[in-house]
Amino acid sequence: MSVISTVLVFVIIPAAVIGAVAALVLSSDRGKQSRRYRPGRPYDFPAMWFTATPGRAAAAVDGPHGLVIEDSSGAPVRPGPTGGASDKW
Amino acid sequence: MTSGEVAQREQQAPEGPFTTRQLLRLDEALRIADQATGLNFSIYLGELSEPVRASAEELHRQARDQKHAVLVAVSPNQRVLEIVTGSEARKRISDRDAKLAGLSMAASFAGGDLAGGLLIGIDQLATHAGRS
Repeated sequence: MSVISTVLVFVIIPAAVIGAVAALVLSSDRGKQSRRYRPGRPYDFPAMWFTATPGRAAAAVDGPHGLVIEDSSGAPVRPGPTGGASDKW
Repeated sequence: MTSGEVAQREQQAPEGPFTTRQLLRLDEALRIADQATGLNFSIYLGELSEPVRASAEELHRQARDQKHAVLVAVSPNQRVLEIVTGSEARKRISDRDAKLAGLSMAASFAGGDLAGGLLIGIDQLATHAGRS
């Protein structure tokens, strides 16, 4: 193997491959900032409210389940206007 | 804010943290949950004023058909989430079931997966509510 072919195989070609991959990585990141939420980073999007077809939810009222006052485990449900839960992360 | 405004905003396309595909999945999850349970699920994503619980309940009061409404309010900046169930919805989704869904959602949010956490939460709440 001559010196020229050694340099070509072990230096030029690896350098070209590394350069091509680096160019691909850098070009895909440029221009668009990731909008994904990450904990600890500020989240500055306008408030959003998602609902599905507001009209149809009102149609299904008071089936036989409307009278159930025990939850799935059989424990009684405390009376009150609203229920729910809270959590933090 | 009404759902109509949100629908318009969604059409203008991604102003929020979600991709179009994630928005579609959220929409489908809400629609299926509503159809299967007969309850009225909604998701609020944004700042909640202090006290957080009271402002989430204030939002819940604005929902249509409040008794059957289930609101999942998430504030990524404050890192809190509130699940508010109306008086009828509460008979189907007990506070303990809601807490369980809240735990799974918080776990996903802590990993930075906002859309995935919301999907898991809606799925769990709908499963606990059962079919109407």
